[in-house]
Amino acid sequence: MISIAHLTKRYGHTVAVDDLNFEVRPGVVTGFLGPNGSGKSTTMRIIMGLDAPTAGRATINGRPYRDLKSPLHEVGALLDAGAVHPGRTARNHLRALAVSNGIAVRRVDEVLEFAGIASVANKRISGFSLGMAQRLGIAAALLGDPPVLLFDEPVNGLDPEGIRWIREFFRTLAHEGRTVFVSSHLMSEMAVSADQIIVIGRGHLITQGSIDQLTASVGGTVLVRSADNQRLRVALERGGATVVVSNDETITVTGVEAEVVGTVALAIGVALVELTPRRASLEEVFMDLTAGAVEYSSAAKATQHA
Amino acid sequence: MPSVTLASVVRAEWIKFRTVRSTGAGYAVTFALTIGIGALIAAAIRGHWQTMDPLAKLAFDPVSTSLGGILFAQFAVGVIGILFITSEYATGSIRTTLAATPRRIQVAAAKLIVLLSATIVVAEIVVVVAFLIGQRIFAGVVPTASMASAPVLRSVLLGGVYLALLGAFGFGIGLILRHQSAAISVFTSLLLVVPIVVFVLPQSWQDSITRYEPSALGRAMMSTTSPPQLFAAWPATTVLATYVIVTLASGALLLVHRDA
Repeated sequence: MISIAHLTKRYGHTVAVDDLNFEVRPGVVTGFLGPNGSGKSTTMRIIMGLDAPTAGRATINGRPYRDLKSPLHEVGALLDAGAVHPGRTARNHLRALAVSNGIAVRRVDEVLEFAGIASVANKRISGFSLGMAQRLGIAAALLGDPPVLLFDEPVNGLDPEGIRWIREFFRTLAHEGRTVFVSSHLMSEMAVSADQIIVIGRGHLITQGSIDQLTASVGGTVLVRSADNQRLRVALERGGATVVVSNDETITVTGVEAEVVGTVALAIGVALVELTPRRASLEEVFMDLTAGAVEYSSAAKATQHA
Repeated sequence: MPSVTLASVVRAEWIKFRTVRSTGAGYAVTFALTIGIGALIAAAIRGHWQTMDPLAKLAFDPVSTSLGGILFAQFAVGVIGILFITSEYATGSIRTTLAATPRRIQVAAAKLIVLLSATIVVAEIVVVVAFLIGQRIFAGVVPTASMASAPVLRSVLLGGVYLALLGAFGFGIGLILRHQSAAISVFTSLLLVVPIVVFVLPQSWQDSITRYEPSALGRAMMSTTSPPQLFAAWPATTVLATYVIVTLASGALLLVHRDA
């Protein structure tokens, strides 16, 4: 389990993470979602003990990362696939990591095999594609068979086959009871690979919950065609709904459920031609949730320049 | 669950040190410069010995002259030390390293142990070979020295110590600055530019400052004659070691407290 409590990180006057609170539980894949620059990577670096928080704390199973006695056995992380010396071979890179944590060298071959890069184990990393480098990073994260895993934008650079492989891999890790924390700026990716989602924007926690909860929280719209749109519209607006006339034939209703629209239509005697509830897509939810954060950011910049 | 110990980190850093090309290349350059330039200087002295000024003949030191290549090789070992840490920042692998070894002081200590051990072994072999080749070239024409004499043996071996200390000095500067080019500039400036700056100061200042320059300390360590304007060999070693320790301590402190 990863716990973030009142976490704040400032770089000079810039606030990267602002009083963040959340927990990442074992047994599920937790997505960490936010626009670029929202503080995801900073939070992950603090969890890994690489950056020190300005205030608050990040702990792994109750302890700060820097207090871990055998870190690779407790946490595996892929923060940046490029963070390796390109002149070294993949095997030597992993051997050095393994040896530092007292991990048997045969484990290196196991993880190379698992990540699907055993055939290039003795090649210098400089010749690796981004996808191969990602797989090397995943191999490194698995070296100590850790119960907690973090991945920062793991899908970047992977081909479709690699993306399917990594989603399956996250599921497997979670089913084994591990804590799996995956960041992404792509809602669509999280929709298929995560069970729980934590959304941040400008360093603030925006919301968290399951994907279903998130879509429900934003609410949907109802698409309506009827024999008399005008009368239906007046009746619905009187009942508190917001109605937008899409074109001559269709109106879009928000603020009430499809059942309510049907009941109102029956009550005023207007025949319905079409009644389609539409749930917000996750992409829309995400845009909706983070819009404030993004706009605020642009506005703040504008003021600074003025 | 095995835990991270200084010994395990030393083993990891040793793998990292020898599995990049720059290490082998750096030591090859150290070899070539110390021995090659030393031999060239020795041959030049031998060729001109008959016509040399008697005062120059009197001041001639067969030991430090045969080790003259160290003046060039010191940059190679400095760069080895600098790259050992700055390449981690340049590639970003420092984050992988520190995630695997969160007690950062262990990383600094392990790297220093690996660097000093490797460099002292290479450097001592290099200086002994350069010394022997130099005496071989001098033989018959120019006065020679033998390592059977204690001061000669001390000077030759301290030549190797000088190189190893400069490797550690480069590493310390790299720890502080983290950028390869900045670290190399500062390292070369301390060795080359500081003496030039001191040279334009008033004579009385020069006399008291010069002996503290790293390159002058190196000359003092390798000299069998102890020129009066320099420290004696052991005090010179102590002063240089103090510079290195202060630099390393500052670098280690910054490594522990800065964001990676």
